[in-house]
Amino acid sequence: MTTLETLTEITAEAFGVPAAELSPDRDLRGIDGVDSVKVLRAIARIEQRYDVELEDSDVFAVKTLGDLVTLIEKAQ
Amino acid sequence: MTAVETPWAASLSDYRCFGCSPHNPHGLQLVFHEAGDALECTFQLGRTFESYPGMVHGGVIGTICDEVMGNLIVLREGRSAFTVGIRLRYLAPLSVGEEYRCVARVRPAGQLYQGSAEVLDRDGTLLVTATGTFQPVDMDRAREHMHLTDTETEQLSMRMERP
Repeated sequence: MTTLETLTEITAEAFGVPAAELSPDRDLRGIDGVDSVKVLRAIARIEQRYDVELEDSDVFAVKTLGDLVTLIEKAQ
Repeated sequence: MTAVETPWAASLSDYRCFGCSPHNPHGLQLVFHEAGDALECTFQLGRTFESYPGMVHGGVIGTICDEVMGNLIVLREGRSAFTVGIRLRYLAPLSVGEEYRCVARVRPAGQLYQGSAEVLDRDGTLLVTATGTFQPVDMDRAREHMHLTDTETEQLSMRMERP
C-alpha cells in the first residue's frame, strides 16, 4: 500500500466518507461535513499509524492529502 | 473487568500519587484495567478539575495519559519508570461530568520505553492522543528518590517482579 493509499483510507474513515471522494489535491476542509476537528482527528490517527510527531505549524498548514503525504514522507 | 492493583497500592500504606492513589482526596484516584496488551482507565471528572467553564483542564488530561502509560510499564515490565517527555494532541475538549476512557500501550525503545495513549468518549470518538518517553529506574535509584524504608523497598520489589 502506498503512503497516499494509507492516508486516504485513514482520512476517509475519520471523515465518514467513501475513499473515492478523496483525491490528492482536494481541499479537505471543503468537503461537506468536514471541519477542522475532523481534519485534526485524521492527522492524529495518521501520526499514530506512522509513529511520527508532526509539528503543529505543519499540521495546521495542511490543505490536501498531497500535503499530508509530503509531510509524512519527510517525517519518516 | 478486574481492577489492576499497582505495586504502590499493594506495598505502601501512605502513597499519595495524585493520579492513582485511593488515599489522596485531592487526586484523580484512577483505577486501571488490563485490556489485551493495553492498560486503560475510565474517568469522570468534576469541577475541581475544570479549565474553561464546563471543560476538563488539559493538564489534567495529560496527567491521566502519563499515569496510564507509566503504570503500564510498571505492571508489564516490573520496573519503575520516570517520564522523560510527553506530547499531547488535543482534538476536542472534554466536558466536566462526562465519562471518558484512556487507553495506553508501551514498547521498548533502546534504553527507554515509548508509550502512546488515547482518550475516547463513550461512543469511541477520539479526543486526545499522547505519546510519552519513559526512563526505567532500578530499585536502588527508585528507593533513593522515593525515600523508601527497607521494608517498603522489599515489599515493593516483590510486587514489582514480573508474573
